[in-house]
Amino acid sequence: MNRTIEVNLTHAEGAIVRTLGLIERRGFVVHGVETASDPHGGALVLRVEVGSRGRPFDVLVRQILRLFDVRNAFLVEPQAGQRLVC
Amino acid sequence: MKGAEALLEALRDRGVDTVFGYPGGAIMPLYDALLGSGIRHVLVRHEQAAAFAADGYARVSGRPGVCIATSGPGATNLVTGIANAFLDSVPLIAITGQVATPLMGTDAFQEVDIFGITLPIVKHSYVVRHIEDLPRIVHEAWDIAASGRPGPVLIDLPKNIAAGEAHGARRVHEPRPTPARAEAALLDSAAAMIDAAERPVVYAGGGIGIGRAVQAFRDFVAQTGIPVVSTLKGLGAIPTDDPAFLGMLGMHGSRAANTAVQQSDLLVVVGARFDDRATGKLDGFAPGARVIHLDIDPAEIDKLRRVELALAGDLSCSLAALAQQRPRIGAWRRHCQSLKTEHVQRYDAPGEGVFAPELLRRLSVAAQGEATLTCDVGQHQMWVAQHCLIRRPERHLTSGGLGAMGYGLPAAIGAQLADPARTTIAVSGDGSIMINIQELATLKRYGLPVKVLLIDNQSLGMVRQWQELFFERRFSEVDLSDNPDFAAVARSFGIDALTLDEKGQMDEAVDALLNHPGPLFVHCRIDPAANVWPLVPPGHTNATMLEGSTQ
Repeated sequence: MNRTIEVNLTHAEGAIVRTLGLIERRGFVVHGVETASDPHGGALVLRVEVGSRGRPFDVLVRQILRLFDVRNAFLVEPQAGQRLVC
Repeated sequence: MKGAEALLEALRDRGVDTVFGYPGGAIMPLYDALLGSGIRHVLVRHEQAAAFAADGYARVSGRPGVCIATSGPGATNLVTGIANAFLDSVPLIAITGQVATPLMGTDAFQEVDIFGITLPIVKHSYVVRHIEDLPRIVHEAWDIAASGRPGPVLIDLPKNIAAGEAHGARRVHEPRPTPARAEAALLDSAAAMIDAAERPVVYAGGGIGIGRAVQAFRDFVAQTGIPVVSTLKGLGAIPTDDPAFLGMLGMHGSRAANTAVQQSDLLVVVGARFDDRATGKLDGFAPGARVIHLDIDPAEIDKLRRVELALAGDLSCSLAALAQQRPRIGAWRRHCQSLKTEHVQRYDAPGEGVFAPELLRRLSVAAQGEATLTCDVGQHQMWVAQHCLIRRPERHLTSGGLGAMGYGLPAAIGAQLADPARTTIAVSGDGSIMINIQELATLKRYGLPVKVLLIDNQSLGMVRQWQELFFERRFSEVDLSDNPDFAAVARSFGIDALTLDEKGQMDEAVDALLNHPGPLFVHCRIDPAANVWPLVPPGHTNATMLEGSTQ
């Protein structure tokens, strides 16, 4: 099962690697990533398509929220046919 | 002011008076600034010991410990200690030297990407790119390490940043918010679940001690009367001789604790994380129990077991709110007491040799549970957990999550420095002691009155036990019968030592461990075939417990 998680990050050194690394280390598969910069607040928006073999996505989101550079993170409501590009 | 001086000033602002470390090339500017800084530096003999000592210091003092190493091998030698702090939620600030910023990324001498290496095992980390950021980074790191669920923070300090002049160093740092409280409606629901329970058990974890929630926890237990089991790190949340305490649960837990949990209809899980060593086969753990999970860390909720009710937030607040409940569980409490009576530990091992569980029990009782015990990892670690009188979580320092052999001696150094008046005893094994035995030199140098009790079975005992039980007695690389004469080794470091071989010598050894002035090394030889019982075999539920002949 795949879901998309949107993560709002402070644009700090290591923030992207830390977030993607956590997702993989927690046993999820990164199928795709999109990034966008927030021109106003020094933030970075990361949309990650994540696969799981049974581990709960809501727990993963809370684990991401523990990261100091993460301002917000949430599961995107699924939409048919949507897929992120690596 | 130089960058290194700014860093030390920020540490002093946070009340730091003791740090642990080992110098080297890239960190030299910081060591230069340490002279006359007013901060005591404890020179260990391996960087891993610096991290473990800082960890021990933090667990006892309740404040972040600070360790320092140079770049490259110095930094990588810290990694085990950082991982240990991460897995056991210990506040730690690790400061590593780094090559100068123009050289970073060029494979320079003693350059490693310690920031990248440690990403999975830190709560947060920094590479300092601008001198002016140093005060903010130090204060921020401190708050991150100490707040919420504590953990290690790495500050990688390039040499030119440490040596450079800071002009107008700015401190722009917003303190982190205080821990959230669980919602009132959820607390009401939890209270109703407790009132309705017929067979409740409290499952106490390391978060109680770390979160400084011991008194609130004890009040909750005393007022509700619910029987308590604990994880390895939860030991001491209530005194282990408290009538309500059924023992440690899990792989080497007591039969009373495991049986009560398996029979329970409600688990009140406090600051614990359903670790596999505690739960056994997860899908058979407490099969009839509903679960209320109290934790400061919302990410622990539902991670391994879906719970009926989560109280994410400050433990003391939640426990205080629930302490008014009075479940009617008299019959259940009597049943739990009968489990304790039925499965009481026995210490009447045959023969004239030393039975390690008996020695450890006698030692901790003689100390009235007031000594700080640090452990290494293996059979002796489990015997300490099973048999010692432990009255406070911060009196029992053990590498719980990482299971790092070599932790005990340096952790004792940190513990002793954090609480100089308290007797501190490092209990070790003959495998573990060799991992960081060089720290006997640190004991000698600083005259620390740490006592070392080495339980020597001439083997890697826990591995040997598993090979005996689960690998058809095919013993592979566990024989340590060529150990050195440990007492002689200790004496060569200038530390008094004695050897203990027979049961009849135990009282003398206990007296020496508690009363000898200065450091002491006690080498205790035990039966190499001794095993830790009971044992839940891997892949089984906690309902399946093996017992051995020594019981």
